[in-house]
Amino acid sequence: MTNNTRHSVQINPQRCIGCVHCMIACPTKAIRIKHDKALIIDELCIDCGECLRFCPEDAVESKTTSFSDLKAFPYKVVIPSTVLYGQFDNATLPNEILFALRRVGFDYVYEISAICELNNSALEMYLAAHLKPRPLISSTCPVVIRLIQRRFPSLCEHVVPIEPPRENAAKILRANLPRMTKVPASNIGIFHITPCPAKMVSINHPASMEKSYLDGAISIRDIFKTIYQTLHQNKEDTIMSHLFPETIFSGTGVGTALSGGETRGLKNHRTVAVSGVRDTIRVLNQVELGLLKDVDVLECTVCPDGCVGGPLTVENRYLAKSRILRLVNMMGERTVVDNSDMSLLYHKDFLSFHHPIAPLEPPPLDENPIHAISKANRRNEIFQRLPRKDCGACGAPDCRTLADDIVRGQAAHDDCPFVKKEET
Amino acid sequence: MRTTDIVFRQEFPVKGGDFSRAGEVSWAIKNLLKELGLSTSVVLRAAIATYEAELNIIMYALEGRLVLSVRPGQVYVVVEDSGPGIEDIELAMTEGYSTATLEMRELGFGAGMGLANIKKNTDVFLITSEVGHGTRLELTFLTNGQKP
Repeated sequence: MTNNTRHSVQINPQRCIGCVHCMIACPTKAIRIKHDKALIIDELCIDCGECLRFCPEDAVESKTTSFSDLKAFPYKVVIPSTVLYGQFDNATLPNEILFALRRVGFDYVYEISAICELNNSALEMYLAAHLKPRPLISSTCPVVIRLIQRRFPSLCEHVVPIEPPRENAAKILRANLPRMTKVPASNIGIFHITPCPAKMVSINHPASMEKSYLDGAISIRDIFKTIYQTLHQNKEDTIMSHLFPETIFSGTGVGTALSGGETRGLKNHRTVAVSGVRDTIRVLNQVELGLLKDVDVLECTVCPDGCVGGPLTVENRYLAKSRILRLVNMMGERTVVDNSDMSLLYHKDFLSFHHPIAPLEPPPLDENPIHAISKANRRNEIFQRLPRKDCGACGAPDCRTLADDIVRGQAAHDDCPFVKKEET
Repeated sequence: MRTTDIVFRQEFPVKGGDFSRAGEVSWAIKNLLKELGLSTSVVLRAAIATYEAELNIIMYALEGRLVLSVRPGQVYVVVEDSGPGIEDIELAMTEGYSTATLEMRELGFGAGMGLANIKKNTDVFLITSEVGHGTRLELTFLTNGQKP
């Protein structure tokens, strides 16, 4: 058991009071309470951020990029997630938000909806060229990738081998900005504005490439206030942003923040969109059993209702969803991607993974199959003697997990207060 | 003690007609076999076969059970139910043949691939059935990579 080192969430020991909320909420049972503090187990954590949602003490912190980290780069580029467009009131249009980001201090603001559409077209080409395997699973949600690596290793080859829009956008900017702006490449920092901490871990420890094209991810929660104040202090910007729009939005791309938003553009294919971490686990199991072979594309996002339900958002997800749906309706089917451009990028492998996603399975009970069998037997015996109250007081999320920890040598029988009481 | 005497055994009861819990036994077996360190391909074959077996009990029987035994080198599952039994086993084994009711099909089950799919995923497959009493399957999966 190793403590959390490479994950995007961390426990603040000053704030953590050792209650059981995060541990019970964790869908992969990756949290234990040791010495009255929560501890994240590295190999089991998938960075879903459920702990962050459930902590009543605000002790789970996301390791996203801070404003002081931005100072390292003289030329700052930002690629906001489309989730940001749903965080302000209905009267605030995306162009105003992009304009405000410029005023906040970013040298270049890049709107991502066109790249979302580009990715969609690339996926369409990939589907036509590869009849197997089915279903293909979208690569956008980094948590889904991490879940597949750890819990559904056979599905690694089902993941669409195209980098998600945020990475492709950053890649395009890296290739073109130095030439366009005459700023040396090393001075350019490219940042995503993210609704979840998982994007940060996908930048620091990417699953499908050696190094991410992004330099960091700023949480919507952290930057919201700054944007909000700028929007209110500079009313004339609104007019300017309408007269001189930063970009042309893609109607098919702007809805990708919502569950089903990615597959919406795939008109000629059978698609399924699932959101929420538990339903995602359920449907991935069904895929492994071969029950979804008649589906072409499966889009899974572990946040409820899609990225719009991310743990680092500010606005309640129903309102944010309604606003983004309104934008989708306003922009309609407007496409901005030239198919021949996309085809060129696709055939140059510009949009693809560097290397396939590899399984990262948690360790078995024992490397030796004979010992593993004995340990499984002992685990069942131990479990029989536990009270099955699943109270979490022992520091494990439930009695079954405590039994597992005991046979793995990571907990003791009398960690259970009921067993201890009986013994004394 | 010989290594073949070392066995992990667990019984999983299945209630007939309980579609809401369909797949739970196979999910538990899948996770157990992973924890025992078996290869992904064996784990998957066992998960698929036990899923189909579990569903057969839910669809046709009043009750039944799966008994999992894991020894070094092999996974052995006995599936027993007290159900209507199968009159013509050969016909039931045919891909696409199904006696599923309309209700079952509406739930997405009963494509008539069950038994054939179980057989395809096991290394040794035995089936015995008595009409009016029930059906018994014995599924063996070899875990050291060789087919019998």
